Amino acid sequence: MSMWAARVDEGFIFGDLTPAAVETLKGVPMLIESSDSRVRDRLLPETCSKEEDEEHWREHAVPELERLFLSRAQLVRRDLGALRKIPDTSNSVLLVPHEHVNAWLAALNAARLALFALNDMTAEHLEVEGFDKATPKQQEAILRLDMMAEMQAVMLGDDEFDDEDISFDDFIID
Amino acid sequence: MARAATKEKTDTKTDTKTSPKTSLATPWNVIVHDDPVTLQNYVTKVFKKVFGYSDSKANRLMMEVHKKGRSIVWTGAREQAEMYAQKLQAHHLLTSLEKVET
Repeated sequence: MSMWAARVDEGFIFGDLTPAAVETLKGVPMLIESSDSRVRDRLLPETCSKEEDEEHWREHAVPELERLFLSRAQLVRRDLGALRKIPDTSNSVLLVPHEHVNAWLAALNAARLALFALNDMTAEHLEVEGFDKATPKQQEAILRLDMMAEMQAVMLGDDEFDDEDISFDDFIID
Repeated sequence: MARAATKEKTDTKTDTKTSPKTSLATPWNVIVHDDPVTLQNYVTKVFKKVFGYSDSKANRLMMEVHKKGRSIVWTGAREQAEMYAQKLQAHHLLTSLEKVET
């Protein structure tokens, strides 16, 4: 995966997204909306040890969280709907507008947690040596986890950018 | 909450001592647990955003979560503790609530 990233006036651009990378991103809303108990147990975890407190939590806090997750999934879907194809290649460019960055950060985190849970992974799998010990399905999940972590790192400001005055339009190639 | 305030005002007319029921509500801890997936910088960012903590405090708490497996990130009234826990879970930090043992 040869993804690159740039900060522009409108937000963050992620370029040269391969079909596999696009497929990973299109999986983000689906993972958030998953009804699999392993995903739900992680995204909406048991919060209180006492049964009556947990019931209170489930009744008052969880429905709002569920609504928030669904609205985030919709927002990610909308941004993905605006993916642009790079001519003469099978790759694409994605814009994450500044006002969507926090939603994307949380959505990517949710998707990574969901993938981790669905593939029966352990912390060891995320170590450098863990990849070789993983099953092929887990290895694929690790690559997806890494790609989404790279996007998170960019939006968290881990990567430095030149402060050039550039715009998304500079990257329009279709 | 409005009802509790009214009761307190009424009580002061007949008894100047503070009612233990209103003054000694047990505080609750908001606890964040470690998970191997969530990025450390993301955890720090969420602590800053949710609690308004300084960079150094948020970073210290994040490291405590990472090294000790959990950290009490806030303690106080139940209602507010629940609000914070909900905000942390909105960002998918593994969060639990516990009543402080007295």
